[in-house]
Amino acid sequence: MSSKIGDWVNERSGWRNHYAAIFLRKIPKINWLYTLGSATLFTMTLQFATGILLTLYYVPEPTQAHASVDYITNELTFGWLIRGLHHWGSSAMVLLVILHMVRVIAYGAYKYPREATWFSGVALLLLTFSFGFTGYLLPWDQRAYWATVVGTRIGEVTPFVGGSLKSVMLGGEEISGLTLTRFYGAHVWILPAVLLVLVGIHMYLVIRNGITAVPKRNE
Amino acid sequence: MNDDADLPKADHADSSLTDPAAQGESVSRLDADTQPDEDPQLDAKGISRRQMLTRSVAVMGGAIAAGVGIPAIFYVAGPAAEDSGTAEWIRLGAASSVEPGTPTLMKANVERRSGYLTSTEELSVFVTTENGTSFEALSNVCSHLGCRVRWVDEQDGFFCPCHNAVFNADGTVASGPPPRPLDQFEVKVEESQIFIKGIA
Repeated sequence: MSSKIGDWVNERSGWRNHYAAIFLRKIPKINWLYTLGSATLFTMTLQFATGILLTLYYVPEPTQAHASVDYITNELTFGWLIRGLHHWGSSAMVLLVILHMVRVIAYGAYKYPREATWFSGVALLLLTFSFGFTGYLLPWDQRAYWATVVGTRIGEVTPFVGGSLKSVMLGGEEISGLTLTRFYGAHVWILPAVLLVLVGIHMYLVIRNGITAVPKRNE
Repeated sequence: MNDDADLPKADHADSSLTDPAAQGESVSRLDADTQPDEDPQLDAKGISRRQMLTRSVAVMGGAIAAGVGIPAIFYVAGPAAEDSGTAEWIRLGAASSVEPGTPTLMKANVERRSGYLTSTEELSVFVTTENGTSFEALSNVCSHLGCRVRWVDEQDGFFCPCHNAVFNADGTVASGPPPRPLDQFEVKVEESQIFIKGIA
């Protein structure tokens, strides 16, 4: 955008400096494995877009949840596409964050001065799992129900706090409408809010510290 | 080659974010910064490697955005195109219950489908007759902004409480803001029962 509009905006915002710092920064000679982080970011954007669209029709209420999902999938124009992208996108995102993490481990990219980037990345990994866990209940079918039974019982074996952890997750002793609404609230409000903050920190650190080169044998 | 990635370089990129001196002369400075990176070997049309890649990313990004964005428009607009099911005759009640000369409020329950939900709504209609044989059915929805009108005997008109609209007994506007008369339903009488069909 080197047009006059771009100049006008740049004179008042200095955006070209930021654009250069983000997109035109110097990087070492790298390979395709270094695109896994960007691929995760892209999938996240897709999840945000399709997730927001799904909230236009989805109803987090026990008698309507499955009916609304069924309506989205089978009756609504392109509902199958929006829900399909969100469904498969979630699996893709889990896969991509893990591959991204393996690349960072394999190349030793978590070392000084990038420890903070690593820790924020670990938090983002757990956050991605939390998205998957809370989103899994929302279709409110047999698979969703029993996966949540199993998932919360796994949480129950946490030492000392397990019992209360399970009750707080479920909003009671059993899965109920309260479980559905709190999983929904977590999935669409709490987790995205935390995710955006952490992604901001993570990306700031990546740009601030630069990325690592592929390690060499004699180094 | 790898030295390029070391911290001093990254700090340099970072300083351009905060250095106020860099802001004013940013354009020329950036040009100076980026030009040496570009492949000096331009093709026949004078497109550099960097420009080619930038354009490819823009085209692919645009294609992906359109691939989600265009279906999203249909997805959002979808239910607006659905038929909510008002194209059938609705039975209001006995024709004998309509008092000649006075609009009579008659009610019927109608099923409305919206998405996966079917709900029962009460439809209220003013039925008028002069002679007991030919009938007219007026919607009770004000043609101004959709509030419900009521018949006021003493003033011989329909009155809307929202913006003081007044309609005559035949539905035409007597005073106030409405742009058009009250909507009319199609009416038929079968076995001395009144049926209506149409809008609202």
